Amino acid sequence: MSLFSRFMDGWRKYRKPGYYDEFDYHWTMTIDLDKCTGCEACVTACQAENNIPVVGEDEMAKGREMQWIRIERYWEGEYPNAKLSFIPMMCQHCDAAPCETVCPVGATYHNQDGLNAQIYNRCIGTRACAVYCPYEVRYFNYYDHEWDSPLEQQLNPDVTVRGKGVMEKCTFCIQRIRQAKDVAKDDDRRRVQDGEMQPACVQTCPTKALVFGDRKDHESQVYKSMNDPRNYRVLDELNTDSSVFYLKKVDA
Amino acid sequence: MPNIDRREFLKLVGAGGVSVGAGFMLREANKDPREYLIPHVLAPEDFSSGLDTFYNSVCSMCPAGCGISVRTREGRAKKIEGNPAHPVSQGRLCTLGQAGLQALYNPDRLTAPMRRTGEGESASFEEITWEQGLKQVGDRLDLLRAARRGNRVAFLTQGVRGHLAQLFESFMRQLGSPRLLHYDFDHPHTLYAANQQFFGESRLPYYDLANTRLLLSFGADYLNNWISPVHHSLGFGESRQGRADVRGRFVQIEPRMSISGAAADEWIPAKPGTEGILALGLAHHIVAEGNYSGADLGAWTNALADYTPDAVAEQTGVPVNTITRLADSFVDTTPSLAIGGGAAGNHSNGVDTLVAVNALNYLVGNIGQEGGLVLNPEPAGPAVQQHRASYSAMVELAEAARQGEIDILIISGTNPVFTLPPAAEFAEALAQIPLVVSLSSFLDETTALADVILPSHTYLESWGDDFPEPGVGFSVGAVSQPVVSPLYNTRGTGDIILDLARRMGSSSVMPWQNMEEFLKYGWRRIYQRGDSQTLAQGFDAFWTSVLKAGAWGETTNGSTAFTLNPDVIAGIGVAPPEFSGSEEDYPFILHPYLSPNFHDGRGANLPWMQELPDPMTSVVYGSWVEVNPVTAEEMGLSEGDLVDIQSPHGQLRVPVFVYPAIMPNVIAIPIGQGHGEYGRYAKGRGVNPIEILSPLLEPITGNLASSATRVNLTPTGGRVKLVKTGGVSRDLGRDIVQHTSLGVEVSSAADNSIPITEVTT
Repeated sequence: MSLFSRFMDGWRKYRKPGYYDEFDYHWTMTIDLDKCTGCEACVTACQAENNIPVVGEDEMAKGREMQWIRIERYWEGEYPNAKLSFIPMMCQHCDAAPCETVCPVGATYHNQDGLNAQIYNRCIGTRACAVYCPYEVRYFNYYDHEWDSPLEQQLNPDVTVRGKGVMEKCTFCIQRIRQAKDVAKDDDRRRVQDGEMQPACVQTCPTKALVFGDRKDHESQVYKSMNDPRNYRVLDELNTDSSVFYLKKVDA
Repeated sequence: MPNIDRREFLKLVGAGGVSVGAGFMLREANKDPREYLIPHVLAPEDFSSGLDTFYNSVCSMCPAGCGISVRTREGRAKKIEGNPAHPVSQGRLCTLGQAGLQALYNPDRLTAPMRRTGEGESASFEEITWEQGLKQVGDRLDLLRAARRGNRVAFLTQGVRGHLAQLFESFMRQLGSPRLLHYDFDHPHTLYAANQQFFGESRLPYYDLANTRLLLSFGADYLNNWISPVHHSLGFGESRQGRADVRGRFVQIEPRMSISGAAADEWIPAKPGTEGILALGLAHHIVAEGNYSGADLGAWTNALADYTPDAVAEQTGVPVNTITRLADSFVDTTPSLAIGGGAAGNHSNGVDTLVAVNALNYLVGNIGQEGGLVLNPEPAGPAVQQHRASYSAMVELAEAARQGEIDILIISGTNPVFTLPPAAEFAEALAQIPLVVSLSSFLDETTALADVILPSHTYLESWGDDFPEPGVGFSVGAVSQPVVSPLYNTRGTGDIILDLARRMGSSSVMPWQNMEEFLKYGWRRIYQRGDSQTLAQGFDAFWTSVLKAGAWGETTNGSTAFTLNPDVIAGIGVAPPEFSGSEEDYPFILHPYLSPNFHDGRGANLPWMQELPDPMTSVVYGSWVEVNPVTAEEMGLSEGDLVDIQSPHGQLRVPVFVYPAIMPNVIAIPIGQGHGEYGRYAKGRGVNPIEILSPLLEPITGNLASSATRVNLTPTGGRVKLVKTGGVSRDLGRDIVQHTSLGVEVSSAADNSIPITEVTT
């Protein structure tokens, strides 16, 4: 079997409706925009957890920021009726992800848990995935970033430090998911329980706007939250089938 | 051959074995570590992650006192989380709290004691030993104490609570000096004074945001920097969408939209300094409509007679129908809550404004109610006197220094050279003091002027404790413990003070060897408050359990009974605010606000905070001035145009950011940047608006009326590119943030599962 046909084979399998039903987890996040205050605690928590470098003022001016989660802001109306809405934006972990189809080396793929995963040491830096991503949430290492000593002592040993030429993005804190699964397995438990692990952004959110969990667990908070009548997905018309559900902001 | 008996032989062999082992280990330790790249995408079956150790402690990045849980691995701090067991933070943390790791591992930390050599331009610091530094300071303290001239010593610290505060107090008592000052730029002096007037106690009440249905915030940016932002955020989320049957409504009254203003359902710009007048306008309408029926109704009617909606609308710029609508809904929606602070408290009428806000709560019966304002019990921490220094107290200190009344000034944790306006002439006063000792961990603007630097540990390396103010309606305390061993040759602030106390012969009164010992001594008193079960287990078990939990609490509520002193009612009234400078020469009012990233400037040396986009503007690494779009158009200004901003007391050059939600005659500059020292990340970036503030005071507290400086704005013709992450700030029909209108409220009794909202799109 040629490499290509094997790839296509796998591809069809992943694209099969109901494919994820065969597996244990389907990680999902909901973000309640009625609770989000735009405080950006999630941004710093993510930066600390995932060894995200500080790129400096000059790189920032070129739009080369690396933070995996960002707060977007949208103004409506004019003074004195101006209103500002915030929306946290990170990798949406699309089940039909445009970035996955374009990678020539299969560095970005979909794993069994519904995560859009990036294999750093397979990435050759074509940046095609970043072009295909409609949410603009993929970040490219233009340089080998450095930590002024002793800031490197803070680095999380569970997360790879990415080098020059590698694309990176939100992983839903896959290191924490794996750890929770390990613990669950060691405890002879079949599944990771709801609330047992949270990504860094969800964990720190001061208003509890972010909720994370397994949508296959119908008792989970995230399952209830994603079925809230206020739910929608950003750019849903693109049929990306994303795993991040937003709850509409309430105008009152 | 020497005569070796069996015992000697075994000893030698044993020692040899140990040294061979040690040699082997040294060699291994000196090798370059082999680096493995472990992709976690599909880790091998047998891969087990290293083991984390979590230490519970207390965050010290701002005065809120959130409980934290620090993840460490192999002796290094990796991540700070909120401590779920701590009632203030409940497992959550703000952005500045998350960045505390970069204070610990900051490349620009002071690593050893230092002494100034040379004068003026050629001045520099040379490293000394702790013994040299402590001896130099201790000997002079002892001389002054022995000569009964201890009052020539001043001790200037940040606002501290708990046993460190008690330690500072006993230290100064030993010297016989009353000059112990806690100074923070953002301490809400006017709020404490207003509560003293209204409630008869100089404490903060607990604001029960979680259970309220309508919040009126008069200038308090409660979600960002005001008092306890993480706890307020928890309450905000709970009030908004945490309850099945009701969604809390939030109204924000302020001249420039803050983070809390953006989160509010309604943002109302009132003229700066008239927030209290607006509160009394609402109060007038409540009383006039017959919605208040207390025994003191007559007194209220008299006191509020002048604050008719028409008169108030005239003064505040808020339409009459908005005033009456707010007042009616404040009565109809129970429980409701009014809070005041921030810029509204930093005017010449600050105390009266906040008394007026308290009055509003009183009139609709929010005091002592769930969802209203709950009075806190006496804090459980050690009884310490009030040492909070207002602006005028700092000016007095500077004056005393200039008069030569101060021989030694010890500074710990506060940076007044940065956070006081130059009008206070504090830096000049420092030059007059023969010995200035700084206990800072960083070379900030004040420490750069010190004679001796005895660098403290950061909070993640030292012992301490905290009793949060405000409490959460019941007594809470927490011990702050070291989570990593000290990185450098630094010492804990408490340990330094105890050492100095020993050197001036106070060891009989302050016998503790170190801060940990003193803490344990102090916590015995709290242990004795425990029930019989706690007492039976002994102090050591109690101490361990407090350290482990990271929090201690007592669920005895504060008193709910409250009777208002009738004199307060007669004294109700808010005078129009005063501003420095004439309106003709200085047409704009400067609104300086605490940056969410940097607080009062202390966060500016953290690279994460420098690179964190400002929530409202997305600007990074710099300062900007916010100008109303219409004003900007009239003056021909657009984003990035450099303007000169001149007040009666100084001038700044800063780029324009056109800000859609600020009053046309107000301009706003964030506080936090503009450092002249403070390490590589902070130094030489942006501007510090405190530099141009006029020294106008609130007369009751002596608090700086920091929102009362008038300025003018002159385009320079220069332009810079503002570095920011946000692109187009309008949705342009992409429907990224979707909205829904509030549907019919569904009773929780009927069906819990139906959310309160109805989707309209």
